[in-house]
Amino acid sequence: RAAMAAAGGEQQQMLTQRLKAAVHYTVGCLCQEVEEDKDVQFSKQSIAAISEITFRQCEIFAKDLEMFARHAKRTTVTTEDVKLLARRSKSLLKYITQKSEELASSNMEQKEKK
Amino acid sequence: ERRCSSLQHKSALSACVTGQKQTNCHESWSLSPEEFEIWDRLYRIKESDGIKEPVLPRVQFETLENLEETPKEGAARELSLTEWSVWQNQPLPTSLVDHSDRCHLFIRAMEMMELMRHQQGDCSYEQELQPHLRMEDVNIPGNKRRGRCSR
Repeated sequence: RAAMAAAGGEQQQMLTQRLKAAVHYTVGCLCQEVEEDKDVQFSKQSIAAISEITFRQCEIFAKDLEMFARHAKRTTVTTEDVKLLARRSKSLLKYITQKSEELASSNMEQKEKK
Repeated sequence: ERRCSSLQHKSALSACVTGQKQTNCHESWSLSPEEFEIWDRLYRIKESDGIKEPVLPRVQFETLENLEETPKEGAARELSLTEWSVWQNQPLPTSLVDHSDRCHLFIRAMEMMELMRHQQGDCSYEQELQPHLRMEDVNIPGNKRRGRCSR
């Protein structure tokens, strides 16, 4: 059993590394866009730091989203929960709300086509 | 003479809580004349103090339209969340409230940055993760960035 738990832990570790690698790659791409846009250079270390912070921030988002959904007696996380993540900043809330409305209307169109 | 002691403050407050004044000073949300006098004398920042009013920095998003009000500059002292960054790679003492998860995240990130501070060129974080990258995790269909990204 201990061996199984250890193997499980190892697999977990591998998945974490895989996920971190994907986040790191994507952060690198986004930073490259900013580099071109602002004509600056990011050091590899700064990209690594942003990646790690992004990865950990996902843990915080995930926990908050789960709690917000549960607070509304749901088990499914919805866009309303995502909006709550952005409640502290007017600018961010407006941006997220707009995106959410755009998504909702394009989903509607897709359904109508079918 | 001002801000001379929290003792004085405590006795003033407890005078307010004990005795007859109790009902009076809890009736309204604002300060009673006695409380106002204490606040004015001990805590209120006045021009003669030669210190600037402390204000918290405002949220500003570089990549979004800004909706928050912009602060008046000059007269106030903006409290800095970054000037003591070299202190922040370890948990600082707590009193009644423990450090939260997001606080620990922050501490770990500061620690990581401290460790990488003197790295030149190649990055240990990148080297550690590179073998774990699977392109199917990042290949979003229709992603214009694909191929252009060298990292």
